Amino acid sequence: MTLALRDLQAAMAAYLASGDGTGLAGAVAGDSIPADARLRIHRHHLHESLATALTTTFPTVRQLVGEAFFRAMARAFVAANLPAQPVLSEYGEGFAAFIDGYDRARGLPYLGDVARLDWALNVAFHNPWQSRLTAPDLATIPAEQLPAARIGLAPGTTVIRSAHPIDRIWAASQPGASSATVDLDAGGTCLLVFRQHDDSGFVALRAGEAAFASSLLAGASLEDAAFAAFAVDPGFDLSVVFRRLLDLTVFVALQQ
Amino acid sequence: MSTTRIAIAAALAAAIAAPLAVQAQGNVEKCYGVAKAGKNDCQTSHSSCAGTSKKDGQTDAWLAVPKGTCEKIVGGKLTSS
Repeated sequence: MTLALRDLQAAMAAYLASGDGTGLAGAVAGDSIPADARLRIHRHHLHESLATALTTTFPTVRQLVGEAFFRAMARAFVAANLPAQPVLSEYGEGFAAFIDGYDRARGLPYLGDVARLDWALNVAFHNPWQSRLTAPDLATIPAEQLPAARIGLAPGTTVIRSAHPIDRIWAASQPGASSATVDLDAGGTCLLVFRQHDDSGFVALRAGEAAFASSLLAGASLEDAAFAAFAVDPGFDLSVVFRRLLDLTVFVALQQ
Repeated sequence: MSTTRIAIAAALAAAIAAPLAVQAQGNVEKCYGVAKAGKNDCQTSHSSCAGTSKKDGQTDAWLAVPKGTCEKIVGGKLTSS
């Protein structure tokens, strides 16, 4: 049987997703290795490669649960979520939400948020570096124009809020970390994740800082972002926080 | 300008004008870095032959227990697991 290329591709895609190769009958050569075995090898290889990509994109999750558990969880995700594009570093956006609903991981309620942190670090890392605004750049603006100024944050910068201490969980999962335990009852955290010169990183934010950074990310003016911060933290120190963000070099384009 | 806006302008200007000495004292903080290995579009498990088995050799039954640094995370809702 000869299939048109389009039909062959559609049948192959369906097989890779479902494992049902009926549409491919007769289209694949077979000899000492039968056609269906060849297809299974290819499908298995695809799924294994994607699971391995998830291992490198979600190293903290992998460290928390171990290789065997991670691969089982990753394969379950892969089976239901084949990539829509070819870049492996962009594969896995839905993994955190998948983990939230993964029955075997329900004893680790923080695991989905740790995956969100891993993903945010991955996204920040893969954003191209571009030059950042520094204090001397902003010193050219008259002070009275600063409140209405809008300053963009570097592409890939995100604020992550979690009900769990995922920064401490992250630190405890790094190679060489001490054997000290992390107490889940220590409570939640807000993190700013961003691209640095040659890697990505994060810092913990207080509530006012998180509101300020989130507002700037949403395109607010410095003044409106400050009001958002004052609303959640009356003790918000605009000068200190603005300087902290400047020193973290997360600011890019300026629109007045 | 309103008083509030003047105060905001002053706070922002003060941050921009803060000398380096203040920066060094007040803003030295650990910023966790994550060095990543490069990835490309044709990554394989270990080599191009890594997937040449026909199916998973592992059954899920014995993979149901996490065995990693999660042992270090205590308290909270974890008691249910």
